[in-house]
Amino acid sequence: MYHVSKSYMAGTTALDDISLELAKGEMVFLTGPSGAGKTTLLKLLFGAERPSEGQIVVLGRNIARLGESAIPQLRRRIGVVFQDFKLLSNRTIAENVALALHVTACPPRKARAKVFAILKQLGLQHRRDQFPLSLSGGEQQRVALARALVNEPEILLADEPTGNLDPELTVDIMDLIAGTALRGTSVVVATHELELVKRYRKRTVRIEAGKLTEDLRPLGSVR
Amino acid sequence: MNRSIASGAYYQALYFVRTAFRGMWATRLTSAIAVLTIGVVLVLVGVFLLLVYNMEELLDEFGNELQITAYLDGDLADDAQRELALRVSQLPGVAEVTTVSAEQALERFRSSVGSGVKLLEGLDENPLPASLEITLSPEYRSAGGMAVVMDSIETLAGVTDLNSGRDWVEGYLRAISLVRTVGLGLGIILALATLLIVANTIRLGIIARSDELEILSLVGASRSFIRIPFLLEGMLQGGAGGAIALAILFAIFELALPGLQAGLQMIVGTAPRFLSTSEALLVVAGGAGLGLMGSAGALAAGFRS
Repeated sequence: MYHVSKSYMAGTTALDDISLELAKGEMVFLTGPSGAGKTTLLKLLFGAERPSEGQIVVLGRNIARLGESAIPQLRRRIGVVFQDFKLLSNRTIAENVALALHVTACPPRKARAKVFAILKQLGLQHRRDQFPLSLSGGEQQRVALARALVNEPEILLADEPTGNLDPELTVDIMDLIAGTALRGTSVVVATHELELVKRYRKRTVRIEAGKLTEDLRPLGSVR
Repeated sequence: MNRSIASGAYYQALYFVRTAFRGMWATRLTSAIAVLTIGVVLVLVGVFLLLVYNMEELLDEFGNELQITAYLDGDLADDAQRELALRVSQLPGVAEVTTVSAEQALERFRSSVGSGVKLLEGLDENPLPASLEITLSPEYRSAGGMAVVMDSIETLAGVTDLNSGRDWVEGYLRAISLVRTVGLGLGIILALATLLIVANTIRLGIIARSDELEILSLVGASRSFIRIPFLLEGMLQGGAGGAIALAILFAIFELALPGLQAGLQMIVGTAPRFLSTSEALLVVAGGAGLGLMGSAGALAAGFRS
């Protein structure tokens, strides 16, 4: 991400001249107060927004120049998790996770196997035929994480993934996310929970009022 | 490799069909109302279709019997009559010419009046003229064609008068054209209504499933992946409406037929016919096509907003 700015029609500037590089398998916490521009930065990374200025190269593709039809292809290589889970309440857990495979025309048998494998990995295999609302918040977020990971993405973006969870479940989810980075997926977690940042001792990028104010790589941290 | 692409496309097609049905089920009440409304709308169109087809069929039936009678000058000798018949038979649009002599005409008259034959006994001489009965070739069996043939016969010496069903044909053609115009106008208005009905149902579907569409977009669904189930849904609704219309039309036709058939058979010697298989399929396909256009319109509007 090189000298990226994002401003909106109304004249508000969400991001101002941000430059950032993320290595393969690296995990970064994106911190800052609400409204600082964390979500906008994530949106730029998965092509939900286009930068007003600057260049963003994600997985070798320049987002600023990417055609509308190329965005879906890119998104299949990026997993995204949100604070509000974004699960379909009228679909089972397995069906929710399988949505990410349907768009890639994955054959049903293979899809079932992949869904089962990822649910097992996240400890949800016994819940696969249940509906999201019968699950706890932590379990729902794990389902969202399963959906984000089922296509084995090269990048995982998480926007306040533990915002709706109590402390115990927060650690549970964050452990799973950190584990993903260990398996080679680059991970960006936007959060305003400083306790979490301290606990995992990863690279921390701070954004305030759209500007990058801090980029810390703790000594002895595990990439 | 090609095989895996083909099987991928197959599974995706299955997914689209399932999603379309799931979508209809999610908005089942609106979808059911839409299908029924389309059905009723297409019944009206179908009634006009049936009317026009049967009227045209009737014209064809009559067309085969359409002929011109040219009455000949009483002073014309037999040789001259034969020569005239030959000339008429060579005119464009004439298929066949039969000469009816004055004696034959009287004979026919005698047999047609039956018991009133006594009235004719006092006649000293035959009052009926000889005539030529002219059958038209198929391409001239219309009011216009008939006029062309009549104009060329009229100029021939020895012909005193012409008689034909031309006025009747012209009136009948005007009636068909009126029915067709009204049907077409009504069809266009009703087609627009169908488009609106489907478009609104699909719009409701898009709104009802906005969460799902958002998630699909997040996990990398292409525009066509998101749109195809909605297009299918519109097509299915339109097609189902068409099928319902066909069933209603058939029921009406079957119920009305016994009464109509006897009457029509007696008057015109032909029974009304229902839509042929291909025409019936056309009604269903027309409904499906309208549904497809309606949903395409809704998608264009829905995704813009």
